[in-house]
Amino acid sequence: MKHIDPQVHRVLDGELPAEVLTASQREQLAALTRAAEALSALPRASVAARVMTEVRRPPESAGRRVARWLTERHAVTISVRPIWSLALAVVLAAVAVIPGRGPGPILGDQEGIAQFVGRFPGARSVDVVGSFTDWQSGAVVLRDDEHDGIWRGTVVLPVGQHEYMFVVDGERWVTDPLAGRYVDDGFGRQNALLFVRPIVR
Amino acid sequence: MNLRCGILLVLTAAAPLAAQGPRQRLAGHVPPATLAVLDSIVQDAAGAGLPTEPLIQKALEGGAKGEAPARIVSAVAASAAQLRSARALLTSAGESPPSDPREVSAVAAALSRGVSPQLVGSLSAALPGEPTGPALHAVADLVGHGFAEDSSVELMVEGARLGLRGLRFLDVAAAAVQELQRGRSHSAALASVRVLLPHLPAPPRAAPAAVSRARRVQPSHERP
Repeated sequence: MKHIDPQVHRVLDGELPAEVLTASQREQLAALTRAAEALSALPRASVAARVMTEVRRPPESAGRRVARWLTERHAVTISVRPIWSLALAVVLAAVAVIPGRGPGPILGDQEGIAQFVGRFPGARSVDVVGSFTDWQSGAVVLRDDEHDGIWRGTVVLPVGQHEYMFVVDGERWVTDPLAGRYVDDGFGRQNALLFVRPIVR
Repeated sequence: MNLRCGILLVLTAAAPLAAQGPRQRLAGHVPPATLAVLDSIVQDAAGAGLPTEPLIQKALEGGAKGEAPARIVSAVAASAAQLRSARALLTSAGESPPSDPREVSAVAAALSRGVSPQLVGSLSAALPGEPTGPALHAVADLVGHGFAEDSSVELMVEGARLGLRGLRFLDVAAAAVQELQRGRSHSAALASVRVLLPHLPAPPRAAPAAVSRARRVQPSHERP
C-alpha cells in the first residue's frame, strides 16, 4: 500500500493551500480526490441492511440443493479395518476368476437345454455319449461336485431327437435309468431317447 | 477387404468339413474291414433319397461300443431297412416324396420302439402336413406303460383335433403316465388327460443357473 505524503495529507485536511505542493504531490492529491468522489457516489448501506437482504432471500429449492451437493467437491473418508478390505479384495478376485459364472450361452431358435443326471457311487468319470457327440467320449463329461455319487451335467443341444448312453469310467456302457424313453440299439442294449425342445422366451 | 478375407478364411476352413463323406467320417471309428460295406449301404440309401445321418450314427455307435464288424454292418443294414419302411409308410399315408429326413428318422425310431405301421397312417390323417414322429413316440410311451394302442392313438387324434402339435404330444403321454403313477387305472388316466386337452402342463423349464452353466456340444465331425 502506498503511504499518503504528509504534505498532501495536510492539504486534504485544509491546513495548507494546494499551491505549496510539488507536481508529483499534486498528482497524488488529484488521485485521492477522485477516489473520494467515487466512494461518495456509492449508495450507503448499513451492515444491518445487508444482513436483512440475505435473510429475506427466498430459500433454495431441494432439487437445487441436491444438484449443488452433487456437483460440488466433498471430502469422503471411509475408515475400514485392513482385514475387511483384504477380504473384499479376495471376494472380488474370486468372482473374476471362477469360471462358469457368466451369463451363459446364447441359444439359437433351434437349440435347447438338456440336463443329465446319473447315480454312480464310486465312479471316477461319467461321460454322456450319443448321436450329439458322434458317439465319441469327452464332449459331455458329467461332474460330481458334491461327492455324493450323483453326476450331473447341462448342455446345449440341437432341437429334436437324440440317442445316448452313459459311459462310466471310460469303459462301462450304461443305459440312463431315468430317461423313461428307450430304443433298441441294434447291438443288444437300449439307448435312451431324448427330445430336446427349443427354449421358450 | 478385411470382411472378404474373413469370409474366405471361413470358407477355406469349412470346405474340408463339407467335403467329409461317410467314409471319411467313419475312418478310424469303425473296424477298417467294414468301411467299404458301410460306405456302400450309406451310398445306396442316399441314392434312394433316404436320410444317411442315422446310418452313419449307427456305424459310429457300433464302433464306439466295440462291436464286432459283422454286428455293425448288420445293425446299419437294419437301420437302412427301417428308414425305407418309414419312408414308404409316410408316402402311402399321403406325404408327397421326398419326405423330411427328420420325419423319416423319427418314424423309423418309433417303429423300432414297437409302434405298429398302421398307426403312421392314422396319425398322418389326423395331422395333415405336420410331422407325425412326436405323436408316434407319444403312443409308444403310452404303450410302454401298458396303455392299449388304439386308446392311445385316439387320445393323440383328439389332441391333434384340438390343436396340439409337435413335441406337445409327448406332454399328453407324460400326463397320462403321471396319472397312472398316482394310482389311477389306465382308462381313468386317459379319461382325466382327455378332459385337460389341449391345456396340458408343459415340462418344467431348466433353471437359469443350470442354463448359465450349459456348454454347447459340437459333434466331432463339426469340430475344427
